[in-house]
Amino acid sequence: MTPTPSRRVMTRRNLLGLGLGTAAAGLLAGCAVPGSTNVNKAALVPAAAGGETVQLTYWGWLKDLQKVCDVWNAEHPRIQVTANWIPGGNSGGYQKMYSALAAGGGPDIGQVEFRQIPEFMLANGLVDLARYGAKDVQSRYDEAAWSQVEFVDGVYGIPQDTGPMGFYYQTAILEQAGGEPPTTWDEWRDLADKVRGTGNGNYLEVFPVADASPFAAYVQQAGARWFRTDGDSWVVDMTDDKTMMVAEFFDGVIDAKLVDTSAGAYTPGWYAAAASGKIAAVTSASWGDALIQSVQGGEGKWKVAPMQTWGDTGYGSSSIGGSTAAVLANAKHPKEALEFITWMTTSKEGVDAMIRYCGIGWSPAKDYIGKARQQPSEWFSGQDYNEDVFVPSAQEQNLDWSWSPVTQSAFTSLQNQFRRKLTGGLKLTDAVELAQQEIVRSFQDKGLSVRTAR
Amino acid sequence: MTATQPGSGFRTSTKATSAQKRAPWILLAPFLALFVLTFIIPIISALFQSFTTVDREGLFGEDGVTGRFAGFDNYVTALNDAGFVGSIWRMLLFGIVQVPVMIVLCTILALLLESASARWPGFFRAVYFMPYGVPGVIATILWSFLYVPGLSPIVSLLQSMGLQPDFLGANSVLWSIANIVTWTYTGYNMLIIVAQLKSIPGEVYEAAKMDGANAFQVAWRIQIPLIAPALVLTTVFSIIGTLQLFAEPQILSTVAPAIDTEYTPNYAAYTNAFAFNEYGVASAQAVIIALAAFILSFAFLALTNRPPKDDRDRRARAKRDGLEARRALQGRAPARPVVTTQAAPGLQTAPGLQNGTKGADA
Repeated sequence: MTPTPSRRVMTRRNLLGLGLGTAAAGLLAGCAVPGSTNVNKAALVPAAAGGETVQLTYWGWLKDLQKVCDVWNAEHPRIQVTANWIPGGNSGGYQKMYSALAAGGGPDIGQVEFRQIPEFMLANGLVDLARYGAKDVQSRYDEAAWSQVEFVDGVYGIPQDTGPMGFYYQTAILEQAGGEPPTTWDEWRDLADKVRGTGNGNYLEVFPVADASPFAAYVQQAGARWFRTDGDSWVVDMTDDKTMMVAEFFDGVIDAKLVDTSAGAYTPGWYAAAASGKIAAVTSASWGDALIQSVQGGEGKWKVAPMQTWGDTGYGSSSIGGSTAAVLANAKHPKEALEFITWMTTSKEGVDAMIRYCGIGWSPAKDYIGKARQQPSEWFSGQDYNEDVFVPSAQEQNLDWSWSPVTQSAFTSLQNQFRRKLTGGLKLTDAVELAQQEIVRSFQDKGLSVRTAR
Repeated sequence: MTATQPGSGFRTSTKATSAQKRAPWILLAPFLALFVLTFIIPIISALFQSFTTVDREGLFGEDGVTGRFAGFDNYVTALNDAGFVGSIWRMLLFGIVQVPVMIVLCTILALLLESASARWPGFFRAVYFMPYGVPGVIATILWSFLYVPGLSPIVSLLQSMGLQPDFLGANSVLWSIANIVTWTYTGYNMLIIVAQLKSIPGEVYEAAKMDGANAFQVAWRIQIPLIAPALVLTTVFSIIGTLQLFAEPQILSTVAPAIDTEYTPNYAAYTNAFAFNEYGVASAQAVIIALAAFILSFAFLALTNRPPKDDRDRRARAKRDGLEARRALQGRAPARPVVTTQAAPGLQTAPGLQNGTKGADA
């Protein structure tokens, strides 16, 4: 072997330098601020050509979503949908979608909760489906559901399930406490007091300080309207009379130790308490039925009643959660995706498959609640609770309620302040006010124009 | 990089051939490629992002979103966030308590396993190490079942004794996390120390025995000084690990209402990046966490790497003497040489420590 001439070493160094230079250049190009390109200002993505087979991916946290896709795939060989399971919403699913979007990828369709749509819009993460003909199918959906996906003349998601609320309760415990399902929140408080009397550690319900969604649902029912727009500016109004009334009510309930604040509904501790009869009831959305059926030995012990109201103010019911199938910004085939989503959410086959395999919440299809829901449920003591409770509940919603582009930080602020109720005795009324200050700051941090209503 | 020649080598030239020069790079290439791609580039990208922010027009930014250079705005935002700063203090408190407890515990375990009277050391070593094999997420879920009232046999037992334990309360949950972390990493750190103990030559023990040292004296005067490098290493790793705590509080937050989304610095950065889409602030927070880990680790290394006390005293005395001598003998040559060189202490520093920490002094 002859010693290498030094020239070759230089060449290799040059090559290495060139490689690093290219990498650095690519890096800087990739460093564009995530979410700064608006796909809805770009040209429409044309429909696939006749002979082409379109492959769609759908990221969602519904169980067995692939089985629903399989029903569609069997009938529509041209459009094949693959479902990928992601963790539920903010427990990892959104984080995954956001990072995929920031990296310039992601699925065609993503499961996005109603309340999260504005936030995805802010990240420029959603395709405006009005440009692909979504308004033509608007008439097939519930008004309350559709009102939550329309923003600035666009349609940013198709309702997939909603969460009208009811009062789930264990019949035997209420009988033992000598109470009836409450029709108003005041009656609910009396009932909570009676249940406390049945034994140490027995509660009617939980009030989760670490999850503000139930609280938001209660103020929504009372008729509050936290976020609205005024021209190009957002208006935050969380210290109105309705919100203060609800916060004061729960301050009183928590101070009197009438609710369990140690954990939220559907957590492991809650299931254990519900199974042993230490938790008697839960005010929850229609999708809670599937979760409650996981309470051990609960079959035949539970029933559902209409949600308790705030007396002469507000609405008959409220809603928690509910999600849409949204077309994400980097979708290759938005038109075909919309076609699939419309089938999935409004056709009888689609709705039935979604209920059977995924156990979705309330179907937003206007005139079909699903075959399985038109009959009594044995688990829920033979009650035909869907038609009894949730059909009317879905109609008695606060249509003026709207979410904001800072939903996550709003909930985080509320929850972090609510926790201080337990850790430092902060009143919920004050917590809401402190949270509002933080929320206004979040708007400003996002570079949005904002003011408070009062 | 010149290739080392074996003593009986047949080649006479010490000049490396081209193949020999190329070989290390080829062997390193797979590592370097991944290292640059998954480590260097993300760090540069995060640094870059930490200096950018976004301006929006319209209700949702639908009328235009522009990124711009933000200077230190993101750092100011991060450091003005009481929750984030609070989380750093919380982790310091956590580290001050948990790291010493764990290091003492793993040292004791390692010394017991390596003592002459240990029974089945291999078996117990494996048992102690086993928790490390359980992924942090799974470990936390398992422990959470031991913390949640109504599910936990421990809580039921304590309740039947008339106690009201609250492992998930606002003041106790930090120590419940510390318990999980200690359970997971004690065995791992123990293994590092055992490895160091095994490298102590038998002659040292023999000499100690000849001098009449008992088991405790052997541990205290011989083993602990000689495993000091391993102790420093595990402590530095633990300090860094403490600042990076994430999985345990995140998983536990589902059962512990007291854990908010800014409970640890990393959790705060994660929330900002992936729940709020504030990549700029999140990157600034990540940089701050890295800097804090850097400063703490180096402060600890500097502290442990000081010359031993008698040596420090000698130096101080020498300096004082020198000054006095200079004052007394102004303009004349000093009567005796000033001692400033560091005396090599016998067993005080093992070779590994000296090598490993020289850089920290510089």
